[in-house]
Amino acid sequence: MISSHQATMAINNFVRVANIITNLDTILSQAKNLSLTAKNARVVALRAGDAAFGFKPITNFIDEFSTQTIKTTSEISKLSNQLFSLALAVVRCTDLQHQLNKANSIKQHKCIVTLQQQSLCDLKQKTRALEQAIFSLESYFEDIQKQMRSAEYIAVTSRVEASNAGEFSHSLESVSDFITNSARKIKTAVNENLQEIYELRGALR
Amino acid sequence: MKATELFNSESHQWIVLGRDPAKPEKIIDTNQYLIKSAEEAIILDPGGIELFSPMLAGILHHVQIDNITTLFASHQDPDIISSLGLWDKTVPNAKLYAPWLWEGFIRHFGMENIQYMPIKDEGGEIKLGHAILKFIPAHYLHSSGNFNVYDPSAKILMSGDIGASLEHGDVPLFVDNFAEHIQYMEYFHRRWMPSNRAKNNWVARVRELDIDMMAPQHGRIFKGEMVAEFLEWFAKLDVGIA
Repeated sequence: MISSHQATMAINNFVRVANIITNLDTILSQAKNLSLTAKNARVVALRAGDAAFGFKPITNFIDEFSTQTIKTTSEISKLSNQLFSLALAVVRCTDLQHQLNKANSIKQHKCIVTLQQQSLCDLKQKTRALEQAIFSLESYFEDIQKQMRSAEYIAVTSRVEASNAGEFSHSLESVSDFITNSARKIKTAVNENLQEIYELRGALR
Repeated sequence: MKATELFNSESHQWIVLGRDPAKPEKIIDTNQYLIKSAEEAIILDPGGIELFSPMLAGILHHVQIDNITTLFASHQDPDIISSLGLWDKTVPNAKLYAPWLWEGFIRHFGMENIQYMPIKDEGGEIKLGHAILKFIPAHYLHSSGNFNVYDPSAKILMSGDIGASLEHGDVPLFVDNFAEHIQYMEYFHRRWMPSNRAKNNWVARVRELDIDMMAPQHGRIFKGEMVAEFLEWFAKLDVGIA
């Protein structure tokens, strides 16, 4: 039996999925900026020569984790289409349940009872599929979180290396600042999404 | 929801469902039509989401759910077919006949299972048991892709929004005094129908049909001589005026 409270919950879950997908844009654009920064930093480090000797491997690291983040985010984007359609299917199944309950209160008919059972079964199936997709999503975000922890570590190391780069210090320090800011923004978006996922899982339970 | 039989023969039956007492006040009242043969049934303009549950409960008085094989949407409006997403799960093997023009729009109501059967501009026909139902073009009356359903055997024309009237309260099913009924139709037709040319073309074609009953999607049904009176009145009416 679906109550109007459960129907509202289904809509709220749909909004949560929408919030998660909105945050993906932030993650993707910051990861792309990081990748671009890595390329620029490599050019500066080359120009700086021996003065920025320690900075060169750092640019490779930045490039590596930003590429990985872009890849993970792209995987999430693919999953997000599935998430949206599953969340929508749950809303529609819940709505159908609600309407069938109303129909049953108008006229008790074995056919309506059968439809209620079928639709409840469908709802459970769709909810399980949504739970599974959310589980996959969670592990992707945890991967990004790990990548961002590496990014923060690299930002600290790069600042030390930048301070030894003589006249190129200023340019390379701004690279370090940029990594710090981007990693922070990505972490915030990932944390928000993990919170949404946590609430979504609680609501589906 | 009230259900009234309009026609009954050995081959098929017409039932109108509407005037739901539980309908929310601000929602326009609609007539839904069920045509059933021994093994098949079609719902003409099944209605909006708000009406789905009383419609389902009402229809099950007359037909088994598995016998509902076909839906028809005269055009794309929400009061006509916004319940599609719910019917899609209730009768997943059904076909929906609707104007080709609106396929991409009507699918927004949610349609994963039901098969969309686009009706060409010039119309067409389907068989329901032994009965033949003809799709009569009624484009621009009011929608730019619009059809009526004509049953030559029952001599019933389901006219969609043509002949619609907006009345409040417990409205009788049939028009009994045409002159008095005009007040409930005039503004609707002047405002909703955009083209005199399309209207005159429709009137000329419909005058060729043998009609005992003209059944619109809103308000009272025209029966007998009221049909001719409506056609005469509508032919003279200047439409497309805000």
